[in-house]
Order: sequence, then structure tokens, then C-alpha cells
Amino acid sequence: MIQTDALQFTYENGSEFSFPDVHLKSGEHLLILGPSGVGKTTLLHLLAGLLPVSSGTISVAGTDFQTLKRRDMDRFRGSHIGLIFQQYHFIRSLSVYQNLVLRQSFPKKALDKARIKELASRLGLSEVLHKKVTQLSQGQQQRLSIALGLIHKPDVVFADEPTSNLDDANCTTVIELLKEEAKICQSSLVIITHDHRVKSHFKNQLTL
Amino acid sequence: MRLGFLAFRNMVSKPLNLLLSLLLLVLSVFLVTFVLQLSKQLSGQLDKNIAPFDMVVGAKGSPLQLVLSSVLHIDVPTGNIKLEEAEFLTKNPMVELAIPVSYGDNYKGYRILGTTHEYLDKYEATLLEGELYSESFEVVVGSIIAQKLQLKVGDTFTSSHGLASIGVESHEDHPYVVKGLLKPTGTVVDRLLISNLESVWEAHEHGEEHGEEHEEEHEHDIEDEHDHEGDDDHDEAHDHNGHDDHDHEDEHAGEEHDHEDREVTSFLVKFKNPLAMVQLPRFINENTNMQAALPGFEVQRLLGLLGSGIKTINGIALAILLVSGLSIFISLLKTIRERRQELALLRIYGLGTAQLLWVVFLEGLLLTLSGFFLGWLLGRIGIWITSLVTEASYGYNLQMTGFDATEIAFLGVALLITLVATLLASISIFKLNISKTLSDA
Repeated sequence: MIQTDALQFTYENGSEFSFPDVHLKSGEHLLILGPSGVGKTTLLHLLAGLLPVSSGTISVAGTDFQTLKRRDMDRFRGSHIGLIFQQYHFIRSLSVYQNLVLRQSFPKKALDKARIKELASRLGLSEVLHKKVTQLSQGQQQRLSIALGLIHKPDVVFADEPTSNLDDANCTTVIELLKEEAKICQSSLVIITHDHRVKSHFKNQLTL
Repeated sequence: MRLGFLAFRNMVSKPLNLLLSLLLLVLSVFLVTFVLQLSKQLSGQLDKNIAPFDMVVGAKGSPLQLVLSSVLHIDVPTGNIKLEEAEFLTKNPMVELAIPVSYGDNYKGYRILGTTHEYLDKYEATLLEGELYSESFEVVVGSIIAQKLQLKVGDTFTSSHGLASIGVESHEDHPYVVKGLLKPTGTVVDRLLISNLESVWEAHEHGEEHGEEHEEEHEHDIEDEHDHEGDDDHDEAHDHNGHDDHDHEDEHAGEEHDHEDREVTSFLVKFKNPLAMVQLPRFINENTNMQAALPGFEVQRLLGLLGSGIKTINGIALAILLVSGLSIFISLLKTIRERRQELALLRIYGLGTAQLLWVVFLEGLLLTLSGFFLGWLLGRIGIWITSLVTEASYGYNLQMTGFDATEIAFLGVALLITLVATLLASISIFKLNISKTLSDA
């Protein structure tokens, strides 16, 4: 599912990162661990196609990123990749339901209302579907964020510190939820975290 | 989800920004369309009303006033002229038609105009029902008056002296009879009561026989030029009558015992030959006691005066439009800055840069279109209200029309400004760094 080779990235300010090669089979999960500042988020953004690599190659779901133009990269991300951010990002002018519809809509995917309702009910969002996203509680925002990463059945879901703001009980709940949903969607899960509570849930680990 | 829906949600999610941009746009479009329509319809109506006649001959005074009173029926006459003195016009080879018109009375503020049937022919006024007047004190009624005053064929009414309906003696012993109702013509005829000339004269004579109260009224309204004409230039008038119109006196002498005293307000003249436009007015103004005015020229002069006012208002409207464009630009720029993360999120969702631009542009477009239509609608409502006012005080009503070419062109300008504003505001979208934007939060 994910294949990288001699990946390197240099920021404009000169800080350089080299990453170990990642090999992940379809349906497998990966936990990327490491302290702050070693480039975890950078690696995640490289793998998700948000940043262009400085050198080396990335191939996700059989597509070599080097062959993709900017517009094709946007399309590829839209249909094959799911992202769950540390900070929640929503379209504030839309309702919860409309946010989910929007995530499903591009590029050219049919609206699947049943899927939205089903996922919302599993994540306990049924009651707030027609509320504005700004009216949600912290926990509801967390779950909506997960829903937005999975609603379009991506091949790979990247999650950036999904548990950092949570207490122990909720941490376990969210990890279970992620694994369960990834299984239903047959998606690979790539989680980066410095949170050691997550360690025990994944056997496939990479430490930077 | 359609991008238009997203753009719409984005637009209404900031109601105060929306209100400011919209208000400016609405104000600008309102001003432009309102003034445009007003001037267009006004000049259209004026043109239609003056079209049947090339020249009007009346008592000396302001030529504009003469045209306003005798052709457009909105001002008081400059005075009267002697029928005899002006009748040479009907014999002039360059004249196709010269129709005498005479004012005297009104009924509930609507003017009773004494004239010949030819007057109706020139305005292509035809009967809706009844027949034309043939005797004195018979009238045909213009369509607006018939509707407003609910007049029917066979109704009688007594006229009031002068041209204003208030506080004036009425001629109760000479009631008018409605003989016919006219079809709507869209011209001044619609708000006139038309009788023969004799009705006006006879009502007058009668009035003069009565006491002093009337005298005052007469001097003020109708005969304020009487003395001047009668005394000062009597000789001159006779002279030209002598050589211009040899058989005049023979023909008309004795027809009516006091013919020489007969007066009319003016003569409306249609030329046979365009050359007359140059020769006749000058001849009349230089050699007679009367003045000749050209309605086309006077109306153009009037519209010229209005025109500078219209230009000023259009200038103001354009300035407001530019400010509104600036407001849209600032509002979009602010929106884009505030929504950087949402725009980056849309890129994650699979939208390309072009689609992001499109969302922002759609937002500007929606704003412009809704502002334009609201402003346009307001302009039309303004026309409608103005129409109520002008109809009440001048008898002019304005038509409600669809979009005209100038308005479409104005929409084009507004859209162009929006497009430029959007593009300028969107430059940062091209340089959007999604990785940085989303992790900076």
C-alpha cells in the first residue's frame, strides 16, 4: 500500500530530514513514534502528498507521487487518502451533515446518504447531524474529525496525534474506533504520535 | 455537493460583511437604473407628445412656457392671441396644418381644451364609445380622465374657471355634456377634455358679463396679455394681415359679429416643408405681435438642462459602484484570509486550485447578481412611486419595463468589477501551502 525509498525533505529554512523507508501492505496499520521535532508530521504530510519530496520516491496505492501533477495530486488525495488532524478543521459555514457530504463529493463521487447516516450513528453523531460544526462539543468534534477521515472509504487514513487531547478512557475508545472503522472500510491506518498509551494497540511500529 | 451551494453558505455566514457590500451595490444599481429609466421615459413621452407639431404660435413670453402650456399642457399659457391675427398661418403654403387651441376652464383640475377635430387626428386619438363633439359645450374625454373621474357618455358637469381646480368660480349655467370617450393614446390627449373653440369663447363671454369677482380671475389666468396685445401692437398686426392674407377679412367678416375680438391661446402648426422651420418662426417673431416656438428645440433644451443633472447622478452612482467593488474586494480578501484553513481543507478533499478560485468567484458573483437584481427592483419600485407622483401632479405616468440594453451593459460593468476584485483577492490561493496552513492552526 505504501512504499517509500530514501525519502528526504528540506525546509526553506534549511532544516533537513531523512526518513527510513516505509513498507506497508494493504490493510496493515503502522504507528510512527518519536519525540517532538523529529519530523513526524513532515513524514505524514509527505506520505499524504501535502508536501513535495526533496528527494527519494513515494508510492501510495500503486501510484508514484512523482508522476502526479499538482491538480492530479489534489484528485488523488481526494479519493484515496483520508486525513485526521491534530487540530480539527471543518468548513464552519456548513452543518455536520453538509461537511460530510462535501467530503464525499470530490472528485466525482456519488452522494451516499446511507453511508453518512450509518457512519454518523456508529460515531454517535446522529443527533447533531444538522447542527453547525461550531456548536459541537470537543468530543463530538473529535468524532466528526474521524468521520471526515473515513467517510469516502480511502485506501489509507493518516492520523496526526489523534489522542493527544484525550484522557486514558477516551484514548482507548478513539483508537478502537479508528481500528474498527478502518477495518470496515478496508483502509490502512497510519498514526503518528508521541503518546505511548497508543503503543500497545499496534504491533507494526516505526520509531523516528 | 455543488460548489455554488458552498459559495452561498460562505456568503451568508458573514451577514454584516454581506449587508455592507450588498447595500453599496444596491444603492449604486438603484441610482443608475432609476435615473436611466426616468430620463428615458420622460424624453420618450415628451417626444411622443410634441411629435404631431413642428411649431407653436402664441403670445409673446417664454418660448419654453409656450411649449409647456400649449403642447404639453403642464404650465400656464403665456397669454392669448387674436384669432384673426394668426389665421394667416392656415393659408401659408409651407404649412400643412394650423390648429387653434384655446384654454379657459377646467373640470376638477383637468383642462378643457377648445380646438378642432384635427387636433384629435394628429394624436391619432379615436373614440372608444360615443361620438365627437359637434355643438358647443359638448366634450370628448381622454382615457385617464374618464377612468379617474368615472365619466360616461351623457354625463354632464360644470367647469371651473381657470386652470386650477381650487377655489374658483364655476360656470353653472353652461354645463358640459360628455359626448364621447377616447381610447388611450399614451399622449397628452389622455388627460384632456376636448371641446370646440366656441365653448371656450361662450363660457368666457358669459363670465365677462358677470360681476367683478370674475374680473380678477380673468386678468390673472387668461387675459394677462390682453391689454398688451390689444393696444401696443395692434397696428403692426393689421399691417401684416393686410398683405399676407388678402381675402381673410372677406371670408370671415360677418360670420361672427365679434370675430375681431375672438382670442385663442395658441396655434399648433405642422409644416409641409422643412424649409418653413427656418423661415416661419423668424418671420413671426420679427413681424408680428406673437411668438413662434419650436417644441422640438425647446424640449431638447429642457432635456439638456436635465441631462447635466442626470450625468451628475450617474457619476455618483459609478463612484458608489467602485466603492462597492472595493467593498466586495476587501470582504473577499478578508474571507480568504480567515478561511485559509478551510481552503486548504478543500484541497485535501480533492478540489484543485481552479475550483477554489471558482468557489470564491461564485461568492462574488452571487453577491453581485443579488445586489444587482435587488437594486434593479428597487429602481423599478422607485419608478412606480414616481409615476404615482407625476401622474397626480402632471398627468405623466411611467411604464414598468423589463431590462433594457443600458442596464444589461451596467450589469456587465458590475460583473467585470467583481471579477477583477475576486481575482485580486484570490492571488493568495495560488500560493496556498496546505501542509503549513493545516499544521499552523
